[in-house]
Amino acid sequence: MSARDKIDPESLPGLDALLAAVPGGFGAFHDPMERRARLATVLAASAAGMPANDRVVTTDRVIPGPLGAPDTQVRIYRPVGVDGALPGIVYIHGGGMSTGTIDGEDAIAAMYCEQLQCVVVSLEYRLAPENPYPAQIEDCYAGLQWTGLHADEIGLDRERLAVYGGSAGGNLAIAMALLARDRGTPNISFCMALYPMVDDSSTLPSTQEITDIGVWDRGTSIEAWEWYLGGRPADGYAAPLRNPDLSDFPPTYLDVGEVDLVRDETLAFASRLLHAGIPVELHVSPGSYHASEIFSPGVELSDRIWALRIDAFKRAFGK
Amino acid sequence: MVDRTRIDAESRVPLDALLEAIPGGFNAISDIVQRREVVAGLQAAVAAVVPPNDRVTREDRRIPGPDGAPDTRVRIYRPKDVQGTLPGIFYIHGGGMVLGSIEGEDAAAALLCERVGAVVVSCAYRLAPENPYPAQVDDCYAGLTWMARHADELDFDINRLAIYGASAGGALCIAMAMMARDRGFPAVSYMMPIFPMLDDRNVTASSHEITDVGIWDRSGNIQAWAWYLGGKEADAYAAGARATDLSGLPPAYIGVGELDLFRDEDIEFATRLMQAGVPTELHVYPGHYHASEVFAPDAELSQRLWKGRVDALRRALH
Repeated sequence: MSARDKIDPESLPGLDALLAAVPGGFGAFHDPMERRARLATVLAASAAGMPANDRVVTTDRVIPGPLGAPDTQVRIYRPVGVDGALPGIVYIHGGGMSTGTIDGEDAIAAMYCEQLQCVVVSLEYRLAPENPYPAQIEDCYAGLQWTGLHADEIGLDRERLAVYGGSAGGNLAIAMALLARDRGTPNISFCMALYPMVDDSSTLPSTQEITDIGVWDRGTSIEAWEWYLGGRPADGYAAPLRNPDLSDFPPTYLDVGEVDLVRDETLAFASRLLHAGIPVELHVSPGSYHASEIFSPGVELSDRIWALRIDAFKRAFGK
Repeated sequence: MVDRTRIDAESRVPLDALLEAIPGGFNAISDIVQRREVVAGLQAAVAAVVPPNDRVTREDRRIPGPDGAPDTRVRIYRPKDVQGTLPGIFYIHGGGMVLGSIEGEDAAAALLCERVGAVVVSCAYRLAPENPYPAQVDDCYAGLTWMARHADELDFDINRLAIYGASAGGALCIAMAMMARDRGFPAVSYMMPIFPMLDDRNVTASSHEITDVGIWDRSGNIQAWAWYLGGKEADAYAAGARATDLSGLPPAYIGVGELDLFRDEDIEFATRLMQAGVPTELHVYPGHYHASEVFAPDAELSQRLWKGRVDALRRALH
C-alpha cells in the first residue's frame, strides 16, 4: 500500500493540482531559486480565490537583524477598529528552511488576526542553503525580541504572546520558545507548532514511509536538513528533539497528519514535553498529509484542523 | 506528586469534592465489593443531576455467555424517531476490570446512541478478582458476536459496526478488534478506545507520575492488573501494549489526558498503530485527568471531549 492510498479522498484533488503545477513536487527542484518560485506560484494560486481580508490592517516594517547581519522584515496585522492591548502571535512561515515568505502565508496570518482579534507579527528570515543555520533562528529571534520590545507601540499584551508556525515554521516556533527561555526574554505564554521539523536524523518509521507523496518526502526532507545544517551537527535549537532540556517550556499545541513524514518525530516531541511536565495538546489527523489543510482548503478535514487550532488559541488567550 | 494547578480548573471541582468525601479516592477502599458499591453510588449521583435521556429507548436482554460460562447481559439503545438503517456501536464499560456496570455508564451509552445516531449494545462482563482474565474478553466477545449475528433483528447495518470503550473498556475494545481480526468474525469497521488500559508493566513515565490524582493512580492500577491477570503472564489480548502485530486492525480513534496514568502507553500504542498502517486519530488534552468528563460533565473540556468523539463516530459511521 502506498502512503498516497491513506490520504483523505477529499484532500487528494488539492494535492493533484499541486503536482500538476509542480511535477514531482517541490523536492523535484534542486535549485532553491526555482523551488522558491514554484512554491510562491502555488501559494499565490491558492490565495487567488480568496478576497483580500479587509477586516485587518497590515504594516510592513524593516527592523534590525541580528548583530552583524542584514536588516530583516516583519508584517504586522491588526484587526480593524480595535484599540488597546491585544494578545499576540509571532508567526513564522514554513518552507523547509529554504523557501517560503511572509507573502506566502499572508492569508493565514490575516485569518488568525481577524478570528482571534489579536496582533500578528509575521517574520521574514534568511533561507538555506545560501544562509544555513543559525541564520534562521537568529533572524526570527531578532523579530521576536523586536515584538517584545515594541509591545506598547503595536498594542500587544506582553502577558499573552504566542509563537506559531508550521513545518520549518514549527521548528522555528519551538526554537524561539527555547531561545526565549534560555536568553530570558521575551516571555512566551503559548507555543503552537504544526507538523514541525524537529529531528534531523531521518530514522523514525514515518520518515521511511513517506517517500512519494510530493509535498514533504524523504528525499526532500534529507536535502532540506543538509541545506539547513550546512555540514554541522545539529544542536538542540536546530533539531529540538535533540534538546536534552525541555523544562520550563510554554504550554504547547501540536498537530500532525497521519500521512506526514514528521508524524513520528512530532509524537516523540510531544511525549518529551509531557515527560518534562509541560501541558501539551496534541491532535493527529488520519488522512492528512503535510500541510494538507493549506493545499486542500475548504474540505471537511481542513476545516476541522483549522477549527481545533482556533479553539485552542481562544482558550490560550482567555477568549 | 502531581501539581494540582495543572488540572483543568472546572474539572478539578468535583474531583476535590470526591476526595473530600472519599480520602485517597475509591481505589483506597480495600474491599472490592464495597468499592464497587461506592463507585456505583458516585456514578448514580452524577447521573441524578440531569434527567435520564428519554430520547432513546432501552431494552435489557440476557444472552448466552461463552462456552461453559454463565449467561451475560446486554442493554440495547436505539434513538427514538429515527428512520432508516443505523450503524451499530458495541459499547464496553470501564472500571479497571474489577468494577463498573452497564448501569454505571448508561448516560454515556445513551449519549452516543442519540448524538451519533446508532444502535448501541452495551455489554456486561464478569469482573476480577473473582473472575480473572480471560473471563472479561470471553464475555465481551460473546456479546460482540451476539450483536453481529442479530444485526437484522436489532436492525443495524452490519457493515458499519464500531466498538467503543473507555479505560478497561478501551482495553477490551482493542482486545475485541484483535479477536475479531484473528477469528475472522465479525468485521469491525471502526474502534474508539478512550484512555485505554494497555500495559500491565507500569514502566512508563506517566505510570510513575500519576500517583495521587485520586481517580486512577499507580497503586490502584498495579492492584487492578494483578487481579485481572490472576498470576498469569499477560498476552496480547490481556495487555494490548504487548501485541506484536497491530496490522489489519480497524481505523482507530484514541483520546487521553495529559494527567492520565495511561497517557504514555496510549500515545505509544497510537504511534505503533500508525506504523502498522492503521489509520489513527489521536487526541491528547491538557488538564484532563482519567475520566474527568464523567466526574465533571458540564466542564468545557468535557463537552469538547464528547464532541470530538461524537463527530469522529459520525464521520466513520455515516
